[in-house]
Amino acid sequence: MSNPYLYTLVRWLAVGGAIILLMFATYGFLRAMKARRSTAIGYALILPWLLGLVIWQLFPIVASLFLSFTEYDVLTPPRWVGLQNYRDMFTRDPRFWPSVRLTVLYSVISVPLGMLGALATATLLAREVRGVGFWRTLYYVPAVLPAAATALLWRWMFASRGLINSLLMPVYNLLGMEPLSWFSDERLVLPSFIIMSFWGVFGANTVILLAALKNVPKELKEAARVDGASSWTVFWRITVPMISPALLYVMIMGIIGAMQNFTAPLFIKTPGGAGTFLNVYVYQQGFTQFKMGYASAVAWFLMLLIMILTALVWKWSDAYVYYEGEVRNQ
Amino acid sequence: MNHRLSNLLKGFLTYFLLTLGAAVIVVPLFWMISTSLKGTDALFAYPPEWVPRPPVWRNYIDAWRMLPFGRFLLNTLFITVLAMAAELLTTSLVAYGFARFQFRGRNVLFFILLCTMMLPGVVTMIPSFLIWAKLKQVDTFVPLTVGAWFAWGPAYIFMMRQFFLTIPREMEEAAVMDGANVVQIYWHIMLPLIRPALLAIGVLAFQGNWNNFQGPLIYLNTMENFPMILGLKFFEQSLSKEAPMWNYMMAMSVLMAVPILGLFFAAQRYFIEGLNVGGVKG
Repeated sequence: MSNPYLYTLVRWLAVGGAIILLMFATYGFLRAMKARRSTAIGYALILPWLLGLVIWQLFPIVASLFLSFTEYDVLTPPRWVGLQNYRDMFTRDPRFWPSVRLTVLYSVISVPLGMLGALATATLLAREVRGVGFWRTLYYVPAVLPAAATALLWRWMFASRGLINSLLMPVYNLLGMEPLSWFSDERLVLPSFIIMSFWGVFGANTVILLAALKNVPKELKEAARVDGASSWTVFWRITVPMISPALLYVMIMGIIGAMQNFTAPLFIKTPGGAGTFLNVYVYQQGFTQFKMGYASAVAWFLMLLIMILTALVWKWSDAYVYYEGEVRNQ
Repeated sequence: MNHRLSNLLKGFLTYFLLTLGAAVIVVPLFWMISTSLKGTDALFAYPPEWVPRPPVWRNYIDAWRMLPFGRFLLNTLFITVLAMAAELLTTSLVAYGFARFQFRGRNVLFFILLCTMMLPGVVTMIPSFLIWAKLKQVDTFVPLTVGAWFAWGPAYIFMMRQFFLTIPREMEEAAVMDGANVVQIYWHIMLPLIRPALLAIGVLAFQGNWNNFQGPLIYLNTMENFPMILGLKFFEQSLSKEAPMWNYMMAMSVLMAVPILGLFFAAQRYFIEGLNVGGVKG
């Protein structure tokens, strides 16, 4: 392994070549089995994804479920312990529930608020402002920055003698209070993370919602105005329902992302692990404590939590989301 | 008259709010650059010094030399380019298959693909690591690049399929008449037609790999193999023991952000178009 680049390049080319050969082999095999031409080509083309699905998704999911019932330190083979990991997690581990609380509260607060912010921005931009492209690009910039850089920047701005406290100094003096310690104060860790999250979410969500707003037919709004509806009513009764599929998409993807917050908390020091999100906790248990079994149990719990939250949003949205061309039974 | 006045007021309010939002975005960015050019004693000055006088350009050179950042940059580029190339080739092939060919089980498989978009990566992290560990590939670039051949990124497949669907079928039918096979059609006709999508997803894939933190954190241990982001992490750990050298950390953060921002500005038209196709009918 003298040259790590060459080492990787050889394997990269070998696997790439093998997959392409396998695609041709699939086509040949299916044709030999008298499959239709379009079937043979179709399966050959989606083969890379199908292989990935089995090797990197289905197998790992089953494997991690199995591991969650074992004790496994990587060096010795996994040992079956039944529900022990889950019992420890729910009843003994003092760090587990605070981490759940932080993760859930962060997602449930930051995602809807961020969505409202993005909706407000998109509404402003949809008003035929001059230089939409300029504003849109500008608002997108924070979303492009590496999460690591963003986290370091905010940690620095939130430092006890950082920019934010400097700017707030007149307020502190006026109220006669001590400057806040933000990320260094256990109680303020969650609000600090939420404030930071606003900076990043606007970009992509604003762009998606703006496109959705542009698709709302003008005639609908005009008809309502003629009937005497106020712009406020038009917004809530026509615009929002018309873009509700996009809102739902933004909301669900936001929750899935927020629940797995990882990079930012690893770049921000907090007192006594008050900023340990669940995904970070999985990483710590698995890769610094080498408790792969326990980490798998936490990971499964986190996945179930995400699925439950997503299902709740979905169920709740059913009453509100409007798909054009859909026939309602009721 | 009244109407005109209210329109004027509305217009004013719109631009006022937009500018306010822009300030919220620009001020931290400005602070990042400003900090990166400050001497150590000016870091905590009160009131805050917005424009450092004189700017300490040496910070960039000094910070760069504290760790082998040249090597880190090379590693990042190597990983990013290989992973991105494999992702673009395989996701476009898979998307072409889903968009254009009838086969049994296609709709079910496509539904599964949409479901995997929502699958949290946290459950697959540990077993994936164990597979690479079994193959003795930990602490090499292999897990971060070779895995991309398996059409990483269901969202990319989805976006590209949407693009393929907008292309009229006559294009291919004419080629079939001329006796072209699928490989030729894909390479000579379809790929050039979906170039905007390839560019958009190329930027997204570049950004994803460049900014990826969890993968390198799990798979790489030796400092020689670190990409920029792990260098930044190591830097952060070693510098924040006593008095954090925020000027150095901000300098390296700026350097990490610049290539991504450049790419984004260069390709932003395609980038935003791509986002829209993927998002509107989510």
